Amino acid sequence: MLTDFWTWIMDLGNSKTVALLIFFTTFIGIVLYVYSSRKRSERLESYRYMPLMDEDDADRKVKAAEASQAKGEK
Amino acid sequence: MFKHESIETNSAMLIVLTMVAISIGGLVEIVPLHYLNGTVEDVKDPATGLDVIHPYSPLEQRGRDIYIREGCYTCHSQMIRPFRDEDLRYGHYSLAAESKYDHPFQWGSKRTGPDLARVGGKYSNEWQVAHLTAPRSVVPESIMPNYPWLKETKLDYSDVQDRMIALKRVGVPYSQTKVEYDANVKRFGEETAKTLDINTAENTLLAQAQAGNYDGNASGVSEMDALVAYLQVLGTMVDFSKFDEDHFIQFR
Amino acid sequence: MAHSAALSSEQYNYDIVKKFAITSIFWGILGMIAGVYIASELAWPFLNLDIAQITFGRLRPLHTSGVIFGFGGNALFATSYYIVQRTCQTRLAGGTFWPTFTFWGWNLSVLIAGLLYLFGYTQGREYAEPVWFVDIAITVVWVVYFLIYTVTLVKRNQPHIYVANWFFMSFILATALLHIFNNLAVPVSLTSATSYSLFSGAQDAMTQWWYGHNAVGFFLTAAFLGMMYYFVPKQAGRPVYSYRLSIIHFWALSFMYMWVGTHHLHWTAIPDWTSTLAATFSILLLMPSWGGMINGIMTLSGAWDKLRTDPIMMFMITALSFYGMSTFEGPMMSLKSVNALSHYTDWTVGHVHSGALGWVAMISIASFYHMIPRLWNTTLYSLQLVYTHFFLATIGTVLYITALWVSGIGQGLMLRAFDEYGNLAYTFVETVAFMHGPLVARVVAGLFFLSGMLVMAYNIYMTIARAKQEEGVSAVAAAKA
Repeated sequence: MLTDFWTWIMDLGNSKTVALLIFFTTFIGIVLYVYSSRKRSERLESYRYMPLMDEDDADRKVKAAEASQAKGEK
Repeated sequence: MFKHESIETNSAMLIVLTMVAISIGGLVEIVPLHYLNGTVEDVKDPATGLDVIHPYSPLEQRGRDIYIREGCYTCHSQMIRPFRDEDLRYGHYSLAAESKYDHPFQWGSKRTGPDLARVGGKYSNEWQVAHLTAPRSVVPESIMPNYPWLKETKLDYSDVQDRMIALKRVGVPYSQTKVEYDANVKRFGEETAKTLDINTAENTLLAQAQAGNYDGNASGVSEMDALVAYLQVLGTMVDFSKFDEDHFIQFR
Repeated sequence: MAHSAALSSEQYNYDIVKKFAITSIFWGILGMIAGVYIASELAWPFLNLDIAQITFGRLRPLHTSGVIFGFGGNALFATSYYIVQRTCQTRLAGGTFWPTFTFWGWNLSVLIAGLLYLFGYTQGREYAEPVWFVDIAITVVWVVYFLIYTVTLVKRNQPHIYVANWFFMSFILATALLHIFNNLAVPVSLTSATSYSLFSGAQDAMTQWWYGHNAVGFFLTAAFLGMMYYFVPKQAGRPVYSYRLSIIHFWALSFMYMWVGTHHLHWTAIPDWTSTLAATFSILLLMPSWGGMINGIMTLSGAWDKLRTDPIMMFMITALSFYGMSTFEGPMMSLKSVNALSHYTDWTVGHVHSGALGWVAMISIASFYHMIPRLWNTTLYSLQLVYTHFFLATIGTVLYITALWVSGIGQGLMLRAFDEYGNLAYTFVETVAFMHGPLVARVVAGLFFLSGMLVMAYNIYMTIARAKQEEGVSAVAAAKA
């Protein structure tokens, strides 16, 4: 039984099925991990703001200029 | 308990796991091809038992170098697919074995011009020379560039032995020693084995250019001689009339 | 957040980002001029002018290397160096020397490789044409790049590594892997530019297309997704739509792309199982690709009015839309039955350009418009010209794709047509004659896109010139005070 299973796995013609199984279980695993717990979800989503935390004068200057130009065109 | 944060906060972890994720695909698909026996079929002449697919002669190999230099692969494929229209237009579908001495492969990805896998013997040398020099003189609608310099440029064959030695290093059975030569005689027949001897490569090249006179100019060896010699050998090594019609299907 | 008050231009190494950004635009224009020229050669073959150096076969690799490694490569260096510093809130590692080394090393490699193509020195492998010693130089540059990037990540002042950096990291690793294995070759001699690849025939084809497709997957997709994950939220002023989706996007994409290269070899002399496997994964790949696209576009949810008022945002959303379109078209073309028609035709070329112009170029352009004023601590010379550029680029891309659909699908159908007696209905050269019209349209499309790039170059030039002027004025004011 176990040897049958082993020969089936080692047959490269079956690699497509094996690969699909491995990939799919991993994928489902990740999806479950990421979405299953509400607490974890909240924690993960809290990292979204990272790129917005380094705003400096140059950022504000460009933003103000773009906003005023956009208004001027209306 | 595993946390995704432990990857996000640890560069080493991120690098290692990413490496694992990107390595699996290549390993599963490419590595087996080097070990599977069926990847490249063994094609032997049913009558003599000799390998029918052999490495290029020195002149043909130099022609192949020019084919690569001019970027012919950007417009021409060398891979006929098993479809009825391609069979009628180009001939029998390409076998993996037919490009087993091609370093690098030139299967191509685009047919701005027709496939060349079996162009050998399809046109006369004169046609090939006229077409390469000025394609629109023989095919008015053609959009291929003219290659007038091929006829005028002398072929540089000074490093042909170095090239064959480099090819030998990557696995092409050119011979340097008596033992290797004898092995080639046994494998490809004496006539072919002679063209694969690195020691006599220059003479072999000159003799083939002389006898073939591919560019219609008997004095000297031009790049045109080499390129046409290469084009004329493409796809001619397997004589499909010697095999059953469905002989090659088992290898697909 | 002690850093937010300081001006980033003093805290970070912006010089290197500026160098890469400017060089990228330069390469983009050069590569696209080459592209328009070779497109014209196909429409009007006399343009080959019987000059060996500019025939299609030698100029075409210059176009592909110029835009992929010149334009794309420099854009990636620029944005990755910018993003890694700002999201890690630390200065780039390696002082000034090592980043500058990657700049000259990379650009000289691309330049030398490109010039050598014109003189006939090539490896004859699509998108891996540089000769062996340039390949070695590129490897050295890449290792230095990897070290700079990793050390910067390690010394970050932020607890987390932001998702944009994951994508850049997987791009750096995958490119190293692909580049090294695909370029294994034995040179004829140490003084010869010629080398012969280690593999041959079917194995060589598999290695080359494993490389070829993942150059698309990691060089032209993963890394540009890194750009997207940083610049779209920044420009929108809102965080990315879903962090959890980006986790799934990242791992699924990194894992799956490496499987699909073989769909470039359907119906060829490779074992059927590799081909089927690749087609299966190509279809699966649609999921993470669209996940990423949705993540990018939905970032704008609640601020859709920006699409009317902000031309940079228009570039970004259009780029994501083309990303979605070409990641749908790609899996479709990897179905064996569709591929039988599309392979070897202009359809493939059109598909590549819907990704390259629509996605890669547009997201880079948007990133430059966002980044360059900040780098020079100034504002864009003209937002109006960004609009102009946007319309030129979009019209160019749409026209390009459409023209090559006509020529590709048309040629594919003609080649497989039979008359009532079962003979081939058309000779090959009849299909060539048929393609003339679409090929002319393609030249026009290329001109649209190229002129957009020229508008950008002018806009950026004026922006920087004005920044220098302002700097001069403030320096004088400071001296007086």
